[in-house]
Amino acid sequence: MHYDTIVIGAGLAGLMAALARAERGERVLLLAKGHGTTHWTSGCIDLLDAGDDPLAAIGRLAAEQPEHPYALAGTVALEQGLERLRAACEAAGYPLAGSPGRNVRLPTALGALRPTCLLPATMVAGEARQLADGRPTLIAGFHELRDFFPPLIAANLRDQGLHAEAAYLGLPPVERSHEFGPMIFARLFERTDFRAAIGEQLATLVRRGGYARVGLPAVLGVRRATEVVRDLQARAGALVFEIPTLPTSVPGVRLFQALHDAFLAAGGRVQLGSFVLRGEGAAATLTVIISEAAAREQRHRALRFVLATGGVAGGGLRADHTGVLQETALGLPVRAPGGPSEWFAPRFLDEAGHPIFRAGIAVDDQLRPLDAAGRVAYHNVAVAGSAIAGCDPIREGCLEGVAIATGWKAGLL
Amino acid sequence: MDHIELSLTQSLDHCIKCNICTSACPVAAVTDKFPGPKYVGPQAQRFRRAGQPVPDDSVDYCSGCRVCNQVCPTGVRIAELNARARAQIVAERGLPLRNALIARSELIGRLSCGPHAPLVNFGLGFKPARWAVDKVLGIHQDAPLPRASRSSFRAWFARRRRSLDARSPGTPAQPSRQVVYFHGCATNYYEPEVGKAAVAVLERNGFEVILAEQNCCGLPLLSNGAFADARKLHEANVRKLLPYVRRGIPVVGTSTSCTLTLKEEAPELLGLSSEEVHAVAAGTYDIFEFLRDLADRDQLNTEFRPVERRLPYHPPCQLRAHRIGRPVLDILALVPGLRLDESRNECCGIAGTYGLKREKYQIGMDVGAGLFAFVRGSGSDLALCDSETCRWQITHGTGVRSKHPIEILAEAYG
Ligand code: SF4
Ligand code: SF4
Repeated sequence: MHYDTIVIGAGLAGLMAALARAERGERVLLLAKGHGTTHWTSGCIDLLDAGDDPLAAIGRLAAEQPEHPYALAGTVALEQGLERLRAACEAAGYPLAGSPGRNVRLPTALGALRPTCLLPATMVAGEARQLADGRPTLIAGFHELRDFFPPLIAANLRDQGLHAEAAYLGLPPVERSHEFGPMIFARLFERTDFRAAIGEQLATLVRRGGYARVGLPAVLGVRRATEVVRDLQARAGALVFEIPTLPTSVPGVRLFQALHDAFLAAGGRVQLGSFVLRGEGAAATLTVIISEAAAREQRHRALRFVLATGGVAGGGLRADHTGVLQETALGLPVRAPGGPSEWFAPRFLDEAGHPIFRAGIAVDDQLRPLDAAGRVAYHNVAVAGSAIAGCDPIREGCLEGVAIATGWKAGLL
Repeated sequence: MDHIELSLTQSLDHCIKCNICTSACPVAAVTDKFPGPKYVGPQAQRFRRAGQPVPDDSVDYCSGCRVCNQVCPTGVRIAELNARARAQIVAERGLPLRNALIARSELIGRLSCGPHAPLVNFGLGFKPARWAVDKVLGIHQDAPLPRASRSSFRAWFARRRRSLDARSPGTPAQPSRQVVYFHGCATNYYEPEVGKAAVAVLERNGFEVILAEQNCCGLPLLSNGAFADARKLHEANVRKLLPYVRRGIPVVGTSTSCTLTLKEEAPELLGLSSEEVHAVAAGTYDIFEFLRDLADRDQLNTEFRPVERRLPYHPPCQLRAHRIGRPVLDILALVPGLRLDESRNECCGIAGTYGLKREKYQIGMDVGAGLFAFVRGSGSDLALCDSETCRWQITHGTGVRSKHPIEILAEAYG
């Protein structure tokens, strides 16, 4: 089949690029080996961990580091991409709050306060300034949900001078007796009987403790989270907010679904479970990409391609046994910080981060991949997201922002 | 350890414990008899050692739908690990009679198909009989069993060949191209109309259809863990199909599960890696994949009549395992007037023979609930799906008729 554009990678960057191109009326295939990092991350949109105004900080960063993906994408792509994402979430009944000009801080599953920028409405009542209003907060969870410990979260919040207490909720009678992951809870919370039983317990706790708000693990529904939170608030008699959990991240799944649905509605096609093995082309033009399939390889043709396969963490870059970093899909040249001995800082949790996470593909201001000599490797390929060199997205707190800016830009070119 | 075992074992180390597979698994979503792909796959696998008892039985609740493989961000081959683990259980304890029976689709088909089919169908439609089968054998009394055909597809094909030869003796048609049609048990004994449609479509594209000798692909045995028997069937198919493949004649099938078994399932699960096995695998195509390849080379006959219909389409699990996208959507999009709405529900719940079993029937129905709602909600009186057991399950769960997409394509050729 002949496509106008094939996007490789189904994370935030790939979804944004695919959506943008499909909405321009193109025939678009989104090809990926599996679900992307949306399913591991918080479901919030981090722009930059630098002061109160991320947008202004991004402007300064772009001036200082002209090869930073933010500098190459430009703020227009970032702002337009954020608007499109908001509209998609709004259409899914899952509005995002916040503004690109202001960072807020939200509690993590460890009770730390982490800066982010856009956040789902379901998390708003947990914003740090509200937690600091002197009124008590209850952090509640379930023994059955692993890796979410209300007493730990509350204790760490108290250490930061916030008034927080903890409680475990009893599990209402359900058909299951074990195996409660975040998605299982999320589906249970979409049931009225389940919410009624939880709401009752919360109301009792709120009455006794005089809590102004209740923080719960971010498992409050998959497709109807905003409604679930509203309903729980009414039942509990207090504000309710979600705290991101360890993977699988339900809020991340919601973002994925909102964009995936928008892409399908725009006529796009999705093919998961397909590793891209290599590409073929001539004269700096990529014509075919080849994916792994049962018994034979599958060939895909398109006029242009977007590579959004992620960096070291997302699996778009791999080190081979000789210590050379490879870009896994097209074999593009990788810009790496020296040899393996220079990839890591001495300490695991090093303040400055590990140099390896700045590895990636060097691109020009059209996001086209560059070879070692700085020439465009493929004229009809754009690289988006963490696959781009020159930025450590997790360390810099810009994972989603860079994905959206470069993904949307790849959709506009 | 064969090379496939090695690659499966190595894939364990790629697991980053993200639980994305467990969150997507349709069986784990509806029952906690099944702890989910991460646990029974990459985690439990570390405790499975040759010569030691299998650590836990819950892996038998894996339906083999492969949603986990599709979503895993690091490429762990969970479904294959599970299938091999089940085989280890069967090797240790033997195959239960019920599973031994339903896994022999060819034998059952041969016994039911023929002039006596109405009698068989009557018997299987008879409540007390089904109740007895449920109690004695553990095949759920409500589970969807196919209706046997009065005449097999092969018999029809042979009759047609004779009458064609009689009509134009001495002038055999000289199509430039040939294909072998792999019909599978279901088409031969239950749904000959699927085979007739396939023949019509292939002939409209200038192919002479060869009905090579063939036998059951063995998938029902594989998915019930009876690997030794499955191996015999696969080796027999390789023997029968190899001469054609060697001459460059492709093997084309309408059952996504049979073609998947020939392409990958049997070689991978059974650890068969001879050159002959590879040649047959590489020469086998799902029929819509084959047609899409023709279209890509501008060789597809696209003289379609308009078919003014809007139909729900469910891409079956085995198609997912082919990893070739949605060839049905690609091809049927070329038919003027025809519009397909793709189901986004991952699985119908039947998973071959899984949903027939008494202890798994309800799980299968719960897994399929979303799909049934989608099909019913479409308001259509017809649903499309490439896999036979899924079609029977869809009809069972919704009361809506179901067809193979090739039947619609044959209609469009008029
Ligand atoms: S999705 Fe893959 S990597 Fe994640 S837990 Fe499952 S097997 Fe492991
Ligand atoms: S094959 Fe299907 S049922 Fe089995 S573990 Fe994977 S997703 Fe679950």
